[in-house]
Amino acid sequence: MLPDVLKVRTADNVQIGYVAAGIPSRLMAFLVDLLINAAVLFVAAVGAAALYSALGSSGGVAEAVALTVFSLMLVLGHFFYFAILEATSAGRTPGKRALGLRVVRVDGSAPGLGESLVRNIARLVDYTLGIGLFVAFFQPQSRRVGDLLAGTVVIRERTAAAHVPAVMAPVLLRAPDSGPPIDGIEHLGAHEHGVLRAFLSRPGLPPEQRARIAHDMSVKLFERMHLPPSAPERIWPPELFIERLYLQLSARLGLS
Amino acid sequence: MRLDEFVARRQQSWRELEEGIRRARRGRLRGMSAQDLERFGMLYRRAAGDLAIAARDFPDQPVTDYLNSLLTRAHPLLFRGPSPQLSRVVRFYAVDLPRAVRAAHVYIYASVGLFALGAVAGWLAVILRPDLVATLVPPQVLDGLSQGHIGNETLKQFAPALAAFIIQNNILVSLIALVSGVAIGLPTAVLLLTNGWMLGTLGAAVHQGGIDAGFWALIVPHGAIEISVILIAGAAGLMIGDSLLRPGLLRRVDSLTRAAQRALLLALGAAPLLVVAGLIESFVTPSDLAVGAKLAVGAVTGVLLWSWLLLAGRTGRAATARRAAVPSLDVPTAA
Repeated sequence: MLPDVLKVRTADNVQIGYVAAGIPSRLMAFLVDLLINAAVLFVAAVGAAALYSALGSSGGVAEAVALTVFSLMLVLGHFFYFAILEATSAGRTPGKRALGLRVVRVDGSAPGLGESLVRNIARLVDYTLGIGLFVAFFQPQSRRVGDLLAGTVVIRERTAAAHVPAVMAPVLLRAPDSGPPIDGIEHLGAHEHGVLRAFLSRPGLPPEQRARIAHDMSVKLFERMHLPPSAPERIWPPELFIERLYLQLSARLGLS
Repeated sequence: MRLDEFVARRQQSWRELEEGIRRARRGRLRGMSAQDLERFGMLYRRAAGDLAIAARDFPDQPVTDYLNSLLTRAHPLLFRGPSPQLSRVVRFYAVDLPRAVRAAHVYIYASVGLFALGAVAGWLAVILRPDLVATLVPPQVLDGLSQGHIGNETLKQFAPALAAFIIQNNILVSLIALVSGVAIGLPTAVLLLTNGWMLGTLGAAVHQGGIDAGFWALIVPHGAIEISVILIAGAAGLMIGDSLLRPGLLRRVDSLTRAAQRALLLALGAAPLLVVAGLIESFVTPSDLAVGAKLAVGAVTGVLLWSWLLLAGRTGRAATARRAAVPSLDVPTAA
């Protein structure tokens, strides 16, 4: 499956692509957050109740404000948990962090307080009748209503390409196979293999120049391999010889 | 340049950028010294340049994916929305919120209009069909009202809890009015109409019962703020709905996103006022103050609220013209 990519053009006019998170991983992150959120709210509620019973009721405005803060926490605490954590950690709640997800704005930048509040208060809509799930299913990049309102996308931070690849330049080969076994190949080692590889991976050489280099190389290789003057390898086209030799040597040395 | 030469030559600087990303805490580069920050920015720009080269010369190679992944991790560290600051709260209430309310005047009119429409319809329904009053207004409410006050003593006893409940409920209602705007504003409109209808039917019913003064003393003290805030939240919801219906030259999604930011400013900014309204509702409304005094509380809070919203944050014409002359670029700010 092709990843769902959000393409963004940076200030340097370079296009970068964020891999959008799918619905399953987002649901998993949501579950983790829900558990943490429930635990925090439960502890806060028990603590507040204990405090309340210890202090006793005064019936005044101060008590009303305290109770208001408490009941707001219970009703809206869920939404503010997400909003505050996303705003203060550049879009990564603990659940998202655990799943390697992150919220970014559609321009690729980190969300601020405004986006975090919008996308999480809109959970009121997204939770209703599972609207969020429904919308995310049909939206590119699995955006829910809150994402559409806030202009955000949840992206996957951990991708397969997280490390500098151990690159080898691609080898340009025209020979269909490695051909008949070449005599004297046992005189060659990793050094010759590297030289062959460097030659074969060099793009953009003019054809006649490439043929001349191949010829010079093959003459030296014949000497090293102690090939008799009558050997059939000597009448192969030099470029074909080098490609076949490279393939056979690779197989012999277990190199690519 | 050959691919392996490219990688060999550049990977040191990529690794250094990776190290910088790893040092970021909570999505910020706060802990870095000025020199390191400058270096980080330079490494980021170099990597962006490398990605451009790699995308042109080695489009299908892993190194291109790697550079892309590196930049997607570095980009949000450098480009971000404004972070929350306490000092901005003052400016928000002194300048930004009143300006936002005035800028949204069309939606405020619509919101008030819908509410008034509901109220007038409710009033007319009761006046024209007196036989339906029992269905339109719950009889217990009328009984309670005709006896003067609804159990004032019990209300007073539970005033703190009542205040908490009312405030929490009203904030929830105003947030719902805001976000349900995404259904092209219809739920918001229904909410405004039904709230107006309730006020209208009740008002007409008590008018027929001849107990107007007692009724309005129960509504007005806190209602001035409470209804205003609900109307503002309703206006915000309508704004979101309108952005979907008439996106103008923008894509609908972009129009929605843009409107949501402005609407949130309105609704969330106004919601804390509901705390004041809720406190009045549970401490002033059931108190033993004279009816006139209670009505005065409502009038004073209403006048204060709207003079703040209509007058605060205005600047002279010259300053407005200066602001208008500077083209605004919608580019995210670099941290």
